[in-house]
Amino acid sequence: MIARWILLALLPIVAGISLAQSRRLSAIIGMGLFSFVLAAVYLLMHAPDVAITEATIGAALVTAIYVLAIRRTGRLTVVADEVPRLIAREGDHITGLEYEILDGFARETGLDLSIQFVPLRRVPWLIAHREADIGAGGIIPLEEAEGALLPTPRHLKTGVYTFPARSKPREVPATVPDYEGYFSELLTHGRSGTLSTVVTSLDLARVLALGRAGALLQGLDRIDGEYGYAFLIAKRRAKLRRDYADYLARLSTSGQLDDMIKRHFS
Amino acid sequence: MTKDRVQTILAVGIIVAFAALVGITYANSHPHPADSQQYLARALEETGASNRVAGIYLNYRLFDTLLEVLVFSVAVLGVRHYLQQSKGMSLPTLSESEVVQTAVSFLTPLALLLCSFFAIFGHISPGGGFAGGVIAASGLLYVAIAHGMKAIETRLNPWRLALAEKAILLSLLIFLLVPVAVGRIPLSDLLPKGTPGQLLSGGSILIYNILIAMKVFIGAWLVIAAFAQHRGEL
Repeated sequence: MIARWILLALLPIVAGISLAQSRRLSAIIGMGLFSFVLAAVYLLMHAPDVAITEATIGAALVTAIYVLAIRRTGRLTVVADEVPRLIAREGDHITGLEYEILDGFARETGLDLSIQFVPLRRVPWLIAHREADIGAGGIIPLEEAEGALLPTPRHLKTGVYTFPARSKPREVPATVPDYEGYFSELLTHGRSGTLSTVVTSLDLARVLALGRAGALLQGLDRIDGEYGYAFLIAKRRAKLRRDYADYLARLSTSGQLDDMIKRHFS
Repeated sequence: MTKDRVQTILAVGIIVAFAALVGITYANSHPHPADSQQYLARALEETGASNRVAGIYLNYRLFDTLLEVLVFSVAVLGVRHYLQQSKGMSLPTLSESEVVQTAVSFLTPLALLLCSFFAIFGHISPGGGFAGGVIAASGLLYVAIAHGMKAIETRLNPWRLALAEKAILLSLLIFLLVPVAVGRIPLSDLLPKGTPGQLLSGGSILIYNILIAMKVFIGAWLVIAAFAQHRGEL
């Protein structure tokens, strides 16, 4: 009898806790827990058949359906090209300025951040084909609109450099980690001195990272113009773009963005 | 006419025939509200099912339960029919972590085992076909979450599953009509009551539970699969 009252009192508490969750998966698990408590109440009221039905439908089936439903909507899928200090793996975790911004944004919106590293040229295609929400990794948007994609406001100023046709091959330091995608391609060519066969210009973050990783880039020429890194979001995702722009504006006015930049690029 | 259209017409035919049968039986048997007071007292000896709840909803109130099965069939039919008209999205499979995949390989066999237990022992212990079918569908859903919808569709053809669902409904209809052949009203129980507590007891309840479990399993899965393939299109 007392157990039943305790469980009944637990019901509104569990419901309130699951409503208060900002992370969708936690809210769903809270709902499943609610069903389990309710099933226990039915069991204590000598209705095992009803308890079984409540547990199977409320806790098992409905929870699984919600999980299936939020797999895409509850996740902020980011496809990124690996750029050291912006977004790159370091040991078994990911770090960098862009990662920190995206992580904060995902936390604020209650989404689970999922990052996939892909070559830079694949990033726009993946966003345009709904396979990812945000494209990142040292993207410098051009002035003209890029088809179905729109850039977000810039989060970091940068410069773009051209370099001479040939640079000298150089010994590679042993401590350089393995990178994936575009940057690893750059690194291979940078090390063998054939960088100009794959690119004609490079942005500051990649130039710095290549320099640190052992590529010899002599005679770099800065291209005139204002450049900055931004993320790519599909045109139809107006709300996501707006939310992100608001978030970035807040980061920038509170000075947090400058702190992050200092931390990663000091 | 496409295969799907033939199947839809067939299903509507079976459901209408089923509803008419249940309606006519109800009109002829006139269960009186006052009888319900006696249900609990007499359920054990009259139905032979030691789970009296199963004895009531699959014997005295069988028409209620069958109408519920029909409502479910109409829902499945409606979801599939209207979702077929919109174009499905083929979304790439999201990879799940090894933790989820390993957990699923434990949970799904357990779910299928529980489904069989609830269906086969539904007349002896708590459970029954509805709960069993839902558990099995959840088990399959776990596999879909861990390995993607495509992994299941290559093994379980949705079109064949939909056909199987209708075949179960049809066999239930035929089974209910058998008593007519021996001069009894449809839906009456011809099988022996047996000793309560034994597996073979409770008359036809065992058969109903198994058929309902299969039907609910397939139906619930078809609805989930249809929604999963058309997300964002409604």
